[in-house]
Amino acid sequence: MIHHFEILLRDAEGALQRLLGTTERRGFRVVALHAQAGPGTICRVELTVDGTRDAGLLGRQLERLQEVQAATIMD
Amino acid sequence: MADSGVIEAAVRSGAQWLVAALEAEGVDTIFGYPGGAIMPVYDALVDSRLRHILVRHEQAAALAADGYARASGRIGVCLATSGPGATNLLTGIANAYLDSVPLLAITGQVASGLMGTDAFQEVDIFGMSLPVVKHSFIVRRAEDVIAVVHEACAIARSGRPGPVLIDLPKDVAQSRSAAQPAQRHATPAPVIPDAATLTAAVALLARSERPLLYIGGGVGIARAEAALRAFIATTGMPSVCTLKALGAAGPSASHHLGMLGMHGSPAANHAVQSCDLLIVVGARFDDRATGKLDTFAPGARVVHIDADAAEIGKLRAADIGLAGDLSLALAALEQPLDIHAWREHCSALESLYRNRYDAPGTDIYAPALLRELSLAAGDQTIVSCDVGQHQMWVAQHWRIQAIHAHLTSGGLGAMGYGVPAALGAQLARPESRVICVTGDGSIMMNIQELATLRRYAIPVKIVLLDNACLGMVRQWQELFFAERYSEVDLSDNPDFVALARAFGIEAFGIERREQVPDAIRRLLDTPGPVLCHVRIDPRANVWPLVPPGKSNGEMMDSAA
Ligand SMILES: Cc1ncc(C[n+]2csc(CCOP(=O)(O)OP(=O)(O)O)c2C)c(N)n1
Repeated sequence: MIHHFEILLRDAEGALQRLLGTTERRGFRVVALHAQAGPGTICRVELTVDGTRDAGLLGRQLERLQEVQAATIMD
Repeated sequence: MADSGVIEAAVRSGAQWLVAALEAEGVDTIFGYPGGAIMPVYDALVDSRLRHILVRHEQAAALAADGYARASGRIGVCLATSGPGATNLLTGIANAYLDSVPLLAITGQVASGLMGTDAFQEVDIFGMSLPVVKHSFIVRRAEDVIAVVHEACAIARSGRPGPVLIDLPKDVAQSRSAAQPAQRHATPAPVIPDAATLTAAVALLARSERPLLYIGGGVGIARAEAALRAFIATTGMPSVCTLKALGAAGPSASHHLGMLGMHGSPAANHAVQSCDLLIVVGARFDDRATGKLDTFAPGARVVHIDADAAEIGKLRAADIGLAGDLSLALAALEQPLDIHAWREHCSALESLYRNRYDAPGTDIYAPALLRELSLAAGDQTIVSCDVGQHQMWVAQHWRIQAIHAHLTSGGLGAMGYGVPAALGAQLARPESRVICVTGDGSIMMNIQELATLRRYAIPVKIVLLDNACLGMVRQWQELFFAERYSEVDLSDNPDFVALARAFGIEAFGIERREQVPDAIRRLLDTPGPVLCHVRIDPRANVWPLVPPGKSNGEMMDSAA
């Protein structure tokens, strides 16, 4: 199933890597990604994933990351 | 440095700032091993009041820091150089991650300009450790060191704790700067569980006829043992616990049925299968606890209380999820319950499946030895285990009266944990007696730490249960792989008594049952570190057992 997330990400070293790593390791495939980073800023990430697991749970797992301020499912 | 915990402004090197920040955090002991990229920090340690314990392998530094943290409730700190030093830490970092232990791992890194060039002893430890840390930093400027250390410690300790890595490039450690004065982070206020959800949970509990508490290690992490015991006293609710929550219910809990799961007590597993409401506190439905998940507690509704919102509904849907402070949630749910028949049923299960120690024969029966040793050692004792059959025997038979008195590698199941964890725990709690129960396979994974015990005269008592094989794997091959034994034989083990003595550790061996009482006395009466080598039957198995992939209702026992 396809899910669209909107994520507010603090732009720190490794933030994007953590976000994508968590998404894949927790059982989802990254289908599309749009992010515009600026130093010391909060960037808005649009992330589309595909997977059979609970997307709400993925959202909570992403929100555990220190850099993720919010992960909202848009579908 | 002022005692207020605020570091005064001055010009110092990044390494000196690091040491000053650790001191300001109240760290007194760090476990480590030096090398090229971390040398500036070792230089700064010379002038510091931090006690550095030189282990003999970095894995042991991380595991000792883990044991230190679990036994003390404070953050454990380990230190290693770049490259192989850093990779050697990884198992210990993963161990802390899976068991939610507050750990700070500091690694040296090659100089910034060399990073990304495959320099000597360069590995991307930041990248390698990403999936097993709660958070991590590469420090890019010396003036950031203090702020990073304070933030790292706060993250490691707060909420659901975990390991945090700080990778410190050598040039950053060496460059001198005036640090921005940075403060320690205040402890965040407890998260209050949602009031309406609490009300719903109170009502669900009041209506249930067969409620059962499923207690997890989170209770220890959240320091919620007192609230849990008060809850049990008021409700009179029967309870079961996980490997990591052994001891949580305390000595006075009636209707506590012990550990559930693969090597749990049949009473606990049967109660779970027949309850109508599970109150899950700081537990996470681990597969070793649940057996076949879709047959676990089939008739139960679930109230799941956890500090980590991402645990709720991860593996088993919760009818009611309460994310937040465990003590507050338990206090809100506390109410007298009218469940007399269910209590009687659980008491009957408990007496039906009580452990027996009257094994036939003259061989040493490990469960009986462990039981007697724990009773003789007393409740102030901390036991640390390695991984395998002996670990499960400790879980089943050791008298454990508080979560923090039992150190076990629960999530990772890392052989080699026992000795370093015991060493760390003993340094954290010098007034407590610390006993390490290990196996002939496991002890060889960190045998070098006998040198550390000797050097610092750390009086850990080691009980080595030697079955001349990798017992747990042998048991599975016997039961589930048609007795096709593959690479489990250790009958050519070294002479462990001579080996321990070569390290300067007192040691003795026993092999017959009648030697057990004297051995226990000698072990407990020896003031310094000591190893007791215990020869046991290679064919001994851990019973009972839920076969892999089966429901917890289908336990096998030795008669089967
Ligand atoms: C580092 C590591 N490697 C392999 C394993 C798999 N494993 C689990 S138990 C076990 C046997 C342990 O043998 P021993 O320490 O002698 O304990 P026993 O089971 O005989 O009591 C093995 C190999 C593990 N848990 N950890």
